[in-house]
Amino acid sequence: MASLIACPHCGPRPKEEFTVRGDAGITRPEPDAGADAWHAYVYLRDNPRGRHREHWHHTSGCRRWLIVERDTVTHAIYSAVDAAATGETA
Amino acid sequence: MVDFVLLHRAALAGARSGAFGTSMPEKRITLEALPEGHVLQVLAGRATGDVTALVASLGDGKAQSVRPVGPGQWFVVGDAVLSTVDMAERKARLSGQGSMADQAHGRVRIAISGTDVEAVLAKGTAVDLNLCEFPAGRSAMTLIGHISALITRTGEHAFEILVLRGFAESLWDELIEMSLEFGVDARPPV
Repeated sequence: MASLIACPHCGPRPKEEFTVRGDAGITRPEPDAGADAWHAYVYLRDNPRGRHREHWHHTSGCRRWLIVERDTVTHAIYSAVDAAATGETA
Repeated sequence: MVDFVLLHRAALAGARSGAFGTSMPEKRITLEALPEGHVLQVLAGRATGDVTALVASLGDGKAQSVRPVGPGQWFVVGDAVLSTVDMAERKARLSGQGSMADQAHGRVRIAISGTDVEAVLAKGTAVDLNLCEFPAGRSAMTLIGHISALITRTGEHAFEILVLRGFAESLWDELIEMSLEFGVDARPPV
């Protein structure tokens, strides 16, 4: 896994300072969407090869939620932005 | 009825003190437990706008008393214990643009200095502490080993570390170990 994340608030920091939540592309279903939709939302995840957008929390730094786009094959980091800046709740 | 008496004691009162490590007079590291005065945590929401100047006015006037921790987060520290009146006056100054709480009971300040202090801290954190990148007054919330701490440069060869009270003694011991190659004088709280 990539070892240095360029936090938009703190600068480059080692991955040990972060907590990974997982896929940032998943949207929460409506409350009455049904068991299948909720099962998929809670339990089912892709295991992509290549570019992947994830929610990362800078737990031991600024404590902000970030969206990190990284490559699961090469470990390259393409971008790291504050989740609030992209209009997502954080 | 009181089952046991609550004792107010400094977090580092029982910590190791004295001289440790090799004897290199010109490179010795000094470790000092600072007074548990006030540590105000200030938080402001994004919608409030820029309150940097307002938060700066909460300091006691000394250099580096106001330390940014992240977007909308600051620690305002000082040696003086703040009374309820002092706190109310500072809260009024914030005029509802942020929230503030004294965390002096929960966070402890440690001063570390010496010509090679950057080399000591580099053993614990990945933050670039070079003077050009990290000038006096700059702060960084990071990990020192596995302990979360706020590092602030207070001078060319001096830093202050703000750490949770329960981790203070562990960090103190680790800082002594990290300083052994230069020799270290560890001074307990006065």
